Amino acid sequence: MTDPSSEFAIELSGLRKTYRRGKKVTVAVDGLDLAVRRGEVFGLLGPNGAGKTTTVEVCEGLTVPDSGTVRVLGREWRAGRHDELRDRIGVCLQETKFHEKATVREIVQLFAACYVRGRTVDDVLQVVSLQEKAAARESTLSGGQRQRLAVATALVGEPELLFLDEPTTGLDPQSRRQLWDVVRSFKAGGGTVVLTTHYMDEAQQLCDRIAIVDHGKVIALGTPAELITSLGAEHFVEIDVDAFDGRLAAADLARLPDVQKCEIAGARAVLTVGSVHTVVPVLLRTLADRGVELRGLATRHATLEDVFVHLTGRHLREDSR
Amino acid sequence: MMRWRVVKAVATTTFREFWRSPDAVFWTYGFPLMMAVVLGFSFQPAPPPPVPVAVVAGARAGDLAASLRRNDRLLVEVLDAASADTALARGRVALVVRQGEVGVPIVRSDPTRAEADVARLLVEKALAPPSQYPAPVIASEVEDRPGARYIDFLIPGLVGLNLLGAGMWGIGFNLVQLRIQKLLRRLFVTPMRHGEFLFGFLLGRGILVLPEAFAIVLFGHLLWGVPFRGSPFAFLLLVGAGGLAFTGLGCLLASRVRSIEAIAGLMNLFQLPMWLLGGTFFGNERLEGVVRWAAEAMPLTHLNRALRDVILGPAGVVDVLIPATGLLGFAAVCFAVALRMFRWT
Ligand SMILES: Nc1ncnc2c1ncn2[C@@H]1O[C@H](COP(=O)(O)OP(=O)(O)OP(=O)(O)O)[C@@H](O)[C@H]1O
Ligand SMILES: [Mg+2]
Repeated sequence: MTDPSSEFAIELSGLRKTYRRGKKVTVAVDGLDLAVRRGEVFGLLGPNGAGKTTTVEVCEGLTVPDSGTVRVLGREWRAGRHDELRDRIGVCLQETKFHEKATVREIVQLFAACYVRGRTVDDVLQVVSLQEKAAARESTLSGGQRQRLAVATALVGEPELLFLDEPTTGLDPQSRRQLWDVVRSFKAGGGTVVLTTHYMDEAQQLCDRIAIVDHGKVIALGTPAELITSLGAEHFVEIDVDAFDGRLAAADLARLPDVQKCEIAGARAVLTVGSVHTVVPVLLRTLADRGVELRGLATRHATLEDVFVHLTGRHLREDSR
Repeated sequence: MMRWRVVKAVATTTFREFWRSPDAVFWTYGFPLMMAVVLGFSFQPAPPPPVPVAVVAGARAGDLAASLRRNDRLLVEVLDAASADTALARGRVALVVRQGEVGVPIVRSDPTRAEADVARLLVEKALAPPSQYPAPVIASEVEDRPGARYIDFLIPGLVGLNLLGAGMWGIGFNLVQLRIQKLLRRLFVTPMRHGEFLFGFLLGRGILVLPEAFAIVLFGHLLWGVPFRGSPFAFLLLVGAGGLAFTGLGCLLASRVRSIEAIAGLMNLFQLPMWLLGGTFFGNERLEGVVRWAAEAMPLTHLNRALRDVILGPAGVVDVLIPATGLLGFAAVCFAVALRMFRWT
């Protein structure tokens, strides 16, 4: 039964799920362990097909894993009726098409009717800023408004645990920030959130802790700051020059103090460094000494994207850089 | 234990979704009424139409044609030999008459055609000299009393057919639609129970079935005086049992399917034979062999027969208890299997 003293909202261990289509076997989740604490916003960050949705749907009781144990709010999905547990979770699936002839209010009302507890419909519409659209039919909503409607249906049962599967994909920056506010206020009210995303800025801004998932496994886990610190270097210095032409090699730059790594591609070099202010003066002097003309210089803070690239050699999203 | 609050919410949402799609409402409910009107007017009781015959042009063809025209049940035209043959071959005339060498006219027809015999008799009667005309031994009248016409046969069948359509398409098709749009998955992760959902869905979709059945009967009565002789309770019972039977079948077919093409195919597989053989448009008691077996196995056959007993004959609740129980049993089996197999995701 429920164990309110448990520190964890979700505990997953040894989770495995494969999909079979004919002879083709896809391993969606491959021995995944995870624990989500009560009251935190937990992010699953990973590229397309990493297994995020599968993992979340196992937690929601939608997908039955091949093996592994799943405890949600101290309970397992296997045992008989689930109404009591379902009453305590709110779900926003990656894609759901609601009744298109129904209005926003009517859709939220349908979901509200299912739960024992619950907030008023007006209240949740207010939270997701859809009050003006309350009487609009679903088919007339924009993509972002649909997404917010989906979140409203997840919130209306006043859940303890909220699952949001890519809640902001395809939203404009303003709608995204609005949704972030929804998540923050839900957390402020004591709720736990599990969200998936492949936006690293979203994970960084919103999540207390993040699991980076790739090929069905957790490859890194921690707070955004911890993950970035784990790189051992938190900044990047990028320089554009006229040409290196053998006057200067990557190894030469990598030997400079406080530089962890250097990669040269054409007339551009990217240095991974501990701190910008110690590296830049030395770097400029070295370039001048070798007669290399500097044409551009930029520095940036390391991001989760860099953590992912560092761990896998790939980018999170195909379209990023 | 079902929570009425949840059932009501599902039913209301489902009903609204349907009611707000005028095209769906028309095809489910307007179309059968329209079909009743069209078929009803095309099969009005009337004297039999005249039988077309050809006279081959030649000597004394005019006299021959004139004698034939004395019988107003014959539609006579004079054609040259080739055209007359073609007309017979194409079935435009039932028979060809030509003047014989020795005096008696020669009649040519294809005896495998149903109308050939009638035409022969009519020609024979027309050409007989008035002295040989037998005194009439019978007088004929057209059967046009309410309850015995084709429209009277058709109206109960249309009620049955409408239940079939509403139950199977209305329920089965839309369940698959909800599955495809992943709304079933979304509902699955709420505390809504399976029974609450299905019951609410059936209510929302089926609430209009009853008024529709009454509307068809009322239409038939107002337009053509189709009688209603049995017990309204028996009618209610049959509409309920039939509706549930087809709804159950719809649920069963839709319980696992994940594409519109598949559900459309499955529906047609079950619906088409029932349209053809279920006894809606013509009686299926005189079919033979496998076809007869198939017809007897169809819920629509039994529903239609019982509906006719109630609407046209004075059957009461007790008289339709057997078919009604059969239909309800069929529904129960369908629902039980459907619930076990049902795929939410
Ligand atoms: N129903 C299914 N049948 C077959 N394969 C599936 C099914 N669902 C998921 N997969 C496969 O499992 C893998 C993991 O999918 P999943 O949806 O969990 O990824 P994801 O991390 O959510 O990706 P995305 O960011 O694109 O949403 C993918 O390779 C996918 O093709
Ligand atoms: Mg996904």
